[in-house]
Amino acid sequence: MTVDNVVALRPSEPARGWLSLARRRRAWLASLLLILFPLIVPFKALAAQILVYGLYALGLNLLFGYLGLLSFGHAALFGVGAYFCGIAVATFGLPWWAGIGLGIFGGTLAAALIGALAIRTRGIYFAMVTLALAQCVYYLFYEEAGWTGGESGLTGVDVKTIDLFGVSFNFVDPLVHYYVICAFVVAALFALSRILASPFGAVIEGVRENEARARASGIDVSRVRLVTFIVSGAFCGLAGALLSLNLSIVSIETLNYETSGLAVMMCLLGGMGTFFGPFVGAALFLLLENIVSLYTVHWQLIVGAAFVACVLFFPRGVWGTLMQGLEK
Amino acid sequence: MAGLTLQLLGLQLFTGVALGALYVLLAVGLSLIFGMLTVVNFAHGAFYMLGAYVGMWLLMHGVNFWLALALAPLAVGLLGLAVERTLIRPLYGRGIDYPLLLTFGLSYIIVEGVRVVFGNTGYPVDTPEILQGAVNIGVGYFPLYRLFVIAATAVILLALWLFLERTSFGLIVRAGARDPQIVRILGVDVARVWLIVFGLGTALAALAGVLAAPLQGVIPEMGGPILAEAFVVTVVGGMGSLVGAVLAGLLVGVVVSMTSLFAPEMSRVAIFALMAVVLLIKPQGFFGRAGLMS
Amino acid sequence: MTADVILRTRDVAKRFGKFNALNGVSAEFRRNVITSIIGPNGAGKSTYFNLLCGVLRPSSGTVEFEGRDVTGMPQHRFAHMGVVKSYQITTVFPQLCAHENVRLAAQARVTTFDMWRPRASLKSLIETADRVLERVGLADRRDRPAGLLAHGEQRALEIGIALASEPKLLLLDEPTAGMSPQETREVMDLIVSLAAERTIILVEHKMKLVLGVSERLIVLHHGELLAEGAPDDIRRNETVKRVYLGHRGH
Repeated sequence: MTVDNVVALRPSEPARGWLSLARRRRAWLASLLLILFPLIVPFKALAAQILVYGLYALGLNLLFGYLGLLSFGHAALFGVGAYFCGIAVATFGLPWWAGIGLGIFGGTLAAALIGALAIRTRGIYFAMVTLALAQCVYYLFYEEAGWTGGESGLTGVDVKTIDLFGVSFNFVDPLVHYYVICAFVVAALFALSRILASPFGAVIEGVRENEARARASGIDVSRVRLVTFIVSGAFCGLAGALLSLNLSIVSIETLNYETSGLAVMMCLLGGMGTFFGPFVGAALFLLLENIVSLYTVHWQLIVGAAFVACVLFFPRGVWGTLMQGLEK
Repeated sequence: MAGLTLQLLGLQLFTGVALGALYVLLAVGLSLIFGMLTVVNFAHGAFYMLGAYVGMWLLMHGVNFWLALALAPLAVGLLGLAVERTLIRPLYGRGIDYPLLLTFGLSYIIVEGVRVVFGNTGYPVDTPEILQGAVNIGVGYFPLYRLFVIAATAVILLALWLFLERTSFGLIVRAGARDPQIVRILGVDVARVWLIVFGLGTALAALAGVLAAPLQGVIPEMGGPILAEAFVVTVVGGMGSLVGAVLAGLLVGVVVSMTSLFAPEMSRVAIFALMAVVLLIKPQGFFGRAGLMS
Repeated sequence: MTADVILRTRDVAKRFGKFNALNGVSAEFRRNVITSIIGPNGAGKSTYFNLLCGVLRPSSGTVEFEGRDVTGMPQHRFAHMGVVKSYQITTVFPQLCAHENVRLAAQARVTTFDMWRPRASLKSLIETADRVLERVGLADRRDRPAGLLAHGEQRALEIGIALASEPKLLLLDEPTAGMSPQETREVMDLIVSLAAERTIILVEHKMKLVLGVSERLIVLHHGELLAEGAPDDIRRNETVKRVYLGHRGH
């Protein structure tokens, strides 16, 4: 199971021409799409949600899509990031940037703790153990109502203006709001692109492609998994921090099992192991949710069916299938 | 801890065993399915919930409890057969993550389907009249129904044990759980074995659901937390090991009930702490073999 | 301890449950020569091989590399000491191009967790990879995904991946399995040429293939050491003859 852990995708010829250029400039192109996005989508609040969840799914994608390790506990990384940022801003009255920093720290810390335990198991156990440990984090935050607000969630994460280099941005304005979040997402995209292009990025590919071969070449596979999990946690922590700033509240559901599943669904719908897929998946999921819920409260039925269809028929996801088509 | 007596401890121990019995039924099903099909069934919690709802529906329509106890698992087991044949089978050979993802999506559909039919709110379920009340078990009075849950689980386990030990089909399942390759080499009709095992596993989950219904009522979300707990049991016991599932299920049940006595606020976190300790000292679980993990 | 022994096993055994795959084998491997492990099917060759490179941990007994007890070390540590294996089944990184396959293996010796530099900045690794591809005759397949290479080319690439780690000891598990006679000859020539600079241990089912190239042979049978010695001794050994004839040897 080591080799075909995620997708036994058949290798394809190297991309040529403009597609190869697009691949090298992937962070620029992805950022451009996100910057233009609110011009296409009239609902700015939804667009901001898509950014946040896209970033969250991007965090999982590094682990699941690129490394081939499936986690069902990413809600813990996302949620701890959200709560750390929320508590910093709402309870301690710290500025927004400290909230973001603490959010990233929270996601990283949660990933280090969960990862260190879960990494002791192998293969399919990993998904189960991460799920269970994330459930544990959910209960812990639920019980610590003094800090987290417990069942009713954490309220009052209010940031009205973002002050940067003497310029003050009105964070209440929907468009400004979007672009502030977008700025962080763009930074994350460039960071991810850089990691993927680094020697460590090569190691990630190697472990996904052939774990046994990687180990025989002298790569400490479990350490690689742990480090990737932690880096993934930093992205998810940032996404969580942005979530709490975006909504001004952190609900306890952020930590539950469905939220972990959400990232997996978005990854797969969009196309795992593709650079922009998580954002496509997040957009699809949230648009589907918003549109279908106009007609029926049972939108999860449609989403579940779409996901099952994706697993059965489009394992590369929408973006992945599109990219594959372009390469031909 | 003024009121803490030996009696109280004893009763709490039995409560834990009754809770553990439900875990055992779930974990045995999970382990059977994983051992044979190498499929981690993320819809296991949803099947459990479905079993509880089908049981409740039957009871509401005047079907007697004993019949409901047989019919609900049968119905859900049949659904399990259909799921294996139509949805999971196409995914064999495509990597171990795919069936897992599929069953995860399926759990969404099942939960939402139940909401469509029964609404979002839960229902209480009456304990059947004949099993109401309490009996003296030596350390004090213990609810008869919980005693029944323990007994019913014991009977099911005995039946399962006889089935696995005494029938040729059981032999295949045991060999398969030890090493999935062997069954293929033996030239058995693997597809049929997988089908039946998946149906059996889902039926066991549904049975646990029906048994749990009078204890905690039914609600569409009831399968989520218990799935996480069943995973803890499987990790502690060792994936693919039926003995491990039974012992770890009982252990986890007792740990939950004992912590809710001593430190109620920690009761839901305790089993995860237990799992963390097991992972630190014996990552493959008490009865797991390293080979099955990869 | 004689200086020219690079690897030694002392009474290593391996049990899988109740099955004894290997029953206490003690043997020595000399530096910078080709030693072949042969034996009929089920003799325990693969088990022994996997004990030598750290994939399996012996149930008892010790493995010594350069005089140091390395029993039970994790496999990636073996690679860092200079013990590298290739596989019986072809295992490359199928979606990476041939060059990246080799470059990654070379990189593993230098850095793993460097995540901020572009990998292209590690120029010496790129050169190493090109040199190795040249060496195994795949220079013109540089940018082709490994999964699309012909079978023989993939086997050559595998050897290239192993070479990129600059091993002191190269363990090859049936490197010519499934090859045409032409491909077999090419790969055997390559192996012989590599032996000038490093120790090679070959596991081979076909005795004829290795008799000519090996300096020493180790014959396993039913998980035990049946014979050990120079090709001529093995050729004349009556027990070996009987075992191989009994199995309709190749």
